Amino acid sequence: MSAIELQGVTVVLGGRPVVDGIDASVAEGEWLALIGPNGAGKTTLLRAIARLLPFSGSISLGGRSIRELPRVELARLIAVVPQEPSTPPWMTVAEYVLLGRTPHLGALAKEGRRDREAAAEALARLDLLEFRGRRLGTLSGGEKQRAVVARALAQEAKIVLLDEPTAALDIGHQQQAFDLLDALRAESGLTLVAAMHDLTLAAQYADRMVLLDSGRVAADGTPRDVLTEELIASHYGASIDIVPVGGRIAVIPRRERRLTEP
Amino acid sequence: MLRFTALVTGALVTAFAVLVAGAAGGGSSPASFPVTITASNGKVTVAKKPRRIVSLSPTATESLLAIGAGSQVVAVDDQSDYPKNAPRTSLSGFTPNVEAIAAYRPDLVVIAYDPKGLSGALGRLGITVIHQDGAATFKVAYQQIRQLGLVTGHEAEATRLIVRMKAKIAGIVRTARRSGGGLSVYHELTPDLYSATSKTFVGKVYAALGLRNIADEADAVGTGYPQLSAEYVVSASPDLIVLADTVCCGQKASTVASRPGWDRISAVRTGSIVRIDDSIASRWGPRLVNFFRAMSSALARLRQ
Amino acid sequence: MTVAAEQAIDVRARGLTPIWTCAAVVFLLCSLAIGVLAGPIDLGVGAVLESAAAHLHIPGFTSSLTPTEEAILWQIRVPRVILAALVGAMLALAGATYQGVFRNPLADPYLLGVAAGAGLGATIAIAYLPEGLRGQRALPMAAFVGGAVAVMLTYAVGRSAKRERDAATLVLAGVTVAAFFTAWQTFVQQQNAETLQQVYSWILGNIPSTGWSDVVLILPYIAVAVVVILALRRVVDVLSLGDDEAASLGVDVRRVRLALVVAATLGTAAAVAVSGLIGFVGIIVPHAIRMVSGVGYRALLPLSVIIGAGFLVLADVVARTALSPAEIPLGVVTAFFGAPFFALVLRTTRGGGS
Repeated sequence: MSAIELQGVTVVLGGRPVVDGIDASVAEGEWLALIGPNGAGKTTLLRAIARLLPFSGSISLGGRSIRELPRVELARLIAVVPQEPSTPPWMTVAEYVLLGRTPHLGALAKEGRRDREAAAEALARLDLLEFRGRRLGTLSGGEKQRAVVARALAQEAKIVLLDEPTAALDIGHQQQAFDLLDALRAESGLTLVAAMHDLTLAAQYADRMVLLDSGRVAADGTPRDVLTEELIASHYGASIDIVPVGGRIAVIPRRERRLTEP
Repeated sequence: MLRFTALVTGALVTAFAVLVAGAAGGGSSPASFPVTITASNGKVTVAKKPRRIVSLSPTATESLLAIGAGSQVVAVDDQSDYPKNAPRTSLSGFTPNVEAIAAYRPDLVVIAYDPKGLSGALGRLGITVIHQDGAATFKVAYQQIRQLGLVTGHEAEATRLIVRMKAKIAGIVRTARRSGGGLSVYHELTPDLYSATSKTFVGKVYAALGLRNIADEADAVGTGYPQLSAEYVVSASPDLIVLADTVCCGQKASTVASRPGWDRISAVRTGSIVRIDDSIASRWGPRLVNFFRAMSSALARLRQ
Repeated sequence: MTVAAEQAIDVRARGLTPIWTCAAVVFLLCSLAIGVLAGPIDLGVGAVLESAAAHLHIPGFTSSLTPTEEAILWQIRVPRVILAALVGAMLALAGATYQGVFRNPLADPYLLGVAAGAGLGATIAIAYLPEGLRGQRALPMAAFVGGAVAVMLTYAVGRSAKRERDAATLVLAGVTVAAFFTAWQTFVQQQNAETLQQVYSWILGNIPSTGWSDVVLILPYIAVAVVVILALRRVVDVLSLGDDEAASLGVDVRRVRLALVVAATLGTAAAVAVSGLIGFVGIIVPHAIRMVSGVGYRALLPLSVIIGAGFLVLADVVARTALSPAEIPLGVVTAFFGAPFFALVLRTTRGGGS
């Protein structure tokens, strides 16, 4: 049974179908990269899976429709790393990461030892232990983004949805974050669905890719299947070269025209 | 024939005498116009005897009707509830509508309050306006009655009214002071303990009667209307409490006595709580005498 | 063994730390003491303590106060201090709660129209009640009902909006309802201009010297509000991430928000019913606490209760002693002293807070 199954998912916003009849499935432990031009509906699709939007069609996790799951149980199954997370500047990193434990706490939301351990674990994994007492307002963009990922990890959910999770990170921290997610995937069988702009990075880490354009699935397959010059040209309007690198592929933008001849 | 002539002559003479007497005794002095007075809006000249007076001041209404100018008054404001036969309308003295006032075609308008340039607006319509602000002393109150008498052609009646008022008040004060002084009074304007000091008109009534006003010590700012602390009132234990908030706010002896700690007050223990009609306590016209009389009876009961 | 456990690192949220709690409680106790000892009538510290001991039936103590002074202390002053503490605690707590629930640092307890509704209720009561009922319990009741109705109307307007039904929509609905009720209140007031002084006096706000009856009247509402809000205080921290993120963490945002708003509204309406519209407390106190300590809502909410109580008790002391034996309306005092106090806090603390 697939971890996530989408059938005919449609989301209408402001009278327009932003996501239009999407069929897709994500296997357990798989890393699915969602790519597509701006406005293709990637963020909207992720939000629909997290049940933050009304949608028509069916979305099920491990065979259970998300419409039937109580909010708390859904939160124990899915963690979301949003594109523009809200990071209250007065909150400490420790408090922020502990918020990830909310779905596991009772009505009074009091943390126990298990919760504190999970948070500590997440902080350690993301190299944030020494920052735990610092307020979010004093962190750099990259440190904040690691904190957001740490919060999602502390949630101990089997499925993690990420929307541009590494946009603010430098190349080293980007790699570190993705390596970590990959390692966690191997250790604990995490299923990852990540919307990504960086096509090369996506090609290097994802098992499968779905190319969205205007709310519809334009291509669905392995990175090699999806990242072709024709598809990228017709959906992104960009000219690229595909270059094989270490068993995977890299996407290199190609400058077509020069203003001045050399 | 002679008897008939004598009868007719006698009738004519009598009629003439009645006419003259009526003319002289009625207070109409056609020769006294135009008359100029100084009111709160400066010098005002009334050219001829006004026939269509509009009063937006409840105090002025009482005075006008008391000096016999009632037939010259065509409209009074919605708060002028005394005397009952005053031509009360829905005109407002607080939020006046110039057109509504002008619709009565007045030749004189008397006001106690001049919001938003009312007097100026009426003046531009050619209507004479007299602004008689709240009197701070008895002298000013009498002066206002006299002025109303002058401008309406009832000077003699106004003078007689003032003389009567002064005499009655003097008598009341004599009686009150004769039975000894040194009693204290608390005048209550609102249930949240706003009071009036001796600086105010109503405070002067108490001063005239020889009473000590407990609000006097509480007016550091000098507004004349301080809000007293409950602790202070209880501690000062006034001998007499006068409630001027009976109509607006439903206060009476029982509500006052049930306030926490107030059962310790002298006035509450002796039952010396006087209810005074809000309108008598807040006006400075002919019913000042009624106020004095009410206080005097309360003091008499107290001293028994 | 995990890395963290090896290093024996404990990851905690900043709750009610001993330091801040102690400081707050000490502040409150001092305020209460000052409140009971200060007043236009000087009773003397020793005499007050003796009287208190006598009332507590501690053997060997009799009160040396006269019966009048006893009445002043126990029937006027002490209940007034307690009332000020209750009202101050509730207003500060409601303000902090709304700041958290609506993620708006300018939110005050009157955000959803409570003030406008209560003002309208009070004005109608002052202007139209038959003479026999005036000055009785009807005025607080009318204010309470007016406040509650206004907030219910805000919710109804918010739900009927075509916009997304989030926190911002509710705030806008509150602005709409408040404007409407204020317009009516002003109209009624002007139609009955002789009530102006009374209405204005009520709007300015004051802690009345009505004895224990008012304390007993509002205590249940405030107690329930405080218990409900403090039980949910950790969830308020989750709400500060925004509706979407809080929902993705499993919080039923609409229901929690409703519970918090209902509790805060009931408590505020009860406080307003007896004390009128005292401003500043609901904004100043939470902000000052946050600027000094920088804590999140799980500590801010309980601290607001304690500090809010102390603050209003002290403000009331000023109101009844500054021009003694005359009184200054409490709303004037809170504005007068709240503003410079806030400026001082802004200047002397580092910008570590929000």
